[in-house]
Amino acid sequence: MKIQQILEIKELKKYYRVTSGLIPRPVGDIKAVDGVSLTIAEKEVLGLVGESGCGKTTLGKTILRLEEPTSGEILFNGMDVVKLNKGDMRKLRGKLQIVFQDPDSSLDPRMTVGGSIEEALVIQGIKSAGERTERVGALMEKVGLEAGFYERYPHEFSGGQKQRIGIARALAMDPELVIADEPVSALDVSVQAQILNLMMDIKDRDGLAYLFVSHDLSIVKYISDRVAVMYLGRIVEMAEKHEFFKDPLHPYTEALLSAIASLRPADKEKILLKGDVPSPLNPPSGCHFHTRCHRMIAICPEVDPAYREVAPGHFVACHLY
Amino acid sequence: MSEEKISRRGMIKKPVYINRRLVRYYWDRLKKNKLSLAGLGFIVFLALLGIFGPFLAADPQHVDFDIKNLPPLGFSTQESIYDIKTNTFATTVNPGRPDHPLGTDSKGRDMLSMLISGSRISLLVGLLATGIALFLGTFLGVLSAYLGGWADNLLMRFTDVMMTFPFFLLLVLIVFIFGPSLTIIVIVIGLTGWTGAARLIRSEALSLRTRDFITASKALGASDNRIIFNHLIPNVASLIIVMATLSIPGVIMAEAALSFIGMGDPMSTSWGTILNTGQHSLDTAWWVAVEPGIMLFLTVLSFNFFGDGLRDAFDPKASV
Repeated sequence: MKIQQILEIKELKKYYRVTSGLIPRPVGDIKAVDGVSLTIAEKEVLGLVGESGCGKTTLGKTILRLEEPTSGEILFNGMDVVKLNKGDMRKLRGKLQIVFQDPDSSLDPRMTVGGSIEEALVIQGIKSAGERTERVGALMEKVGLEAGFYERYPHEFSGGQKQRIGIARALAMDPELVIADEPVSALDVSVQAQILNLMMDIKDRDGLAYLFVSHDLSIVKYISDRVAVMYLGRIVEMAEKHEFFKDPLHPYTEALLSAIASLRPADKEKILLKGDVPSPLNPPSGCHFHTRCHRMIAICPEVDPAYREVAPGHFVACHLY
Repeated sequence: MSEEKISRRGMIKKPVYINRRLVRYYWDRLKKNKLSLAGLGFIVFLALLGIFGPFLAADPQHVDFDIKNLPPLGFSTQESIYDIKTNTFATTVNPGRPDHPLGTDSKGRDMLSMLISGSRISLLVGLLATGIALFLGTFLGVLSAYLGGWADNLLMRFTDVMMTFPFFLLLVLIVFIFGPSLTIIVIVIGLTGWTGAARLIRSEALSLRTRDFITASKALGASDNRIIFNHLIPNVASLIIVMATLSIPGVIMAEAALSFIGMGDPMSTSWGTILNTGQHSLDTAWWVAVEPGIMLFLTVLSFNFFGDGLRDAFDPKASV
């Protein structure tokens, strides 16, 4: 049985040109996304973790073509999204949606929440006002809000409720893939659980796939089917969830996992990473991680390790394997 | 009125520039600022005066030299005439008259009528010129922020160039060339006054442009037009209102100054024109200059207080 891949990214790159001087001339590129390849299957949740500034959000936005990719392919149901013209892209957008991190900024403060959800339907060309109203009501119920909230404004809602509205808007056109860009990290813990459960329920019912961006491994462990780790614009390890948490290979993954809060901290050996993420404008030579790696060997600063499949479904980019 | 009972219109054909509950919220905040309310009260009074006053008052241009330089009610002037036969001064006292409660000027024109006429002119010029200026400012500011890149650069440098012109000198020059008329004055003030608004709105729109709800609309495939008119402009609307309120006094003063130096519209009686008349007779009839002065002072003060209050009411971080 072949698994239907809904999204397939090949060698995706997004560079930002950095210029300086009175007459701007390029001084380098920020390699926010530097050759990322991954796949997401139908109804699958791929957790994407990494420190802030490693390119997680940019990757998400590039997949949606909110940022134009520098190079690479983004195949959505076999169709290359990068090559689509504006009109075709607009038609596709309903199927490829995003949920944002900050619920305060993701809703227009001057528009009713019903209006915000309905805008999705208007843009996607549903002409009948009656049908739109009905669907907005259904969407609001789906995310656990009363349809009577239609004419309320975002400032009248709590963070969790706003996030539900954001989810409803993303679901408006029955998407097949939703990029969830840290959808719960701005919420407090009890609300986080509610939103995560809501997202899982919706996934099970509607059969959609998530690219779940997060920096919180315990959330990723809860929600994902597979996990990918990003460091400085590259994916350094990707594996099926149980394998990932049982047998992490990349030293960076080890360090991240050791940082999960535990009820018995004494049982665990903490791996502390030194310093910050290096600047993506001027990444270290060889393996980007060697400056902070606790298992560095002689070859690391010299050669960039290949991203290889070391066990079935387990990919890693490290010289140790 | 129960908020739940508001019917679901169920569609957003038009952008929601004004909505009842937000307006209510801002009004509640504004109400706490008493100075601002007083300002609003005076503006409303002035508006009513400007709209209905001229229908009720006498003709402000009516000249009657028999009653020239009448003082306001409650004041009186003394006139001493040297009598050559008796070698004494005969002194007559002119008290103010109830049919001219604010007195008359050196041509016997009724001050009250002139002031009422002036309030209409001042408000009209203030509103129209500010309207033109803010329309241009909003358009260029939002456009500049939204387009970004070289278009933004070009528009902002153009704004800088416009800002370097000494505005009043330009006004005098153009009035000198095209002749003094209210239309010209309104258009010139409008066409030169948009620069500050454009800059402010651009910076506001720049920060809005990167907010997630704009990105969300883009992710849904919204057109540039939709984003500008349904999201950007409604979100800078409060800024526009505040700027309008705060820029009206400047425009009123500019018109008054122009009339004062004799370059105003000769066919209309504005406060500046009255001031100009009063200037020549300050020693004999002080009220001719003082009365329009007070009106200008109160008007400018009211708009400023009201604008300040509005700004605080619209600013979610300000405690009122």
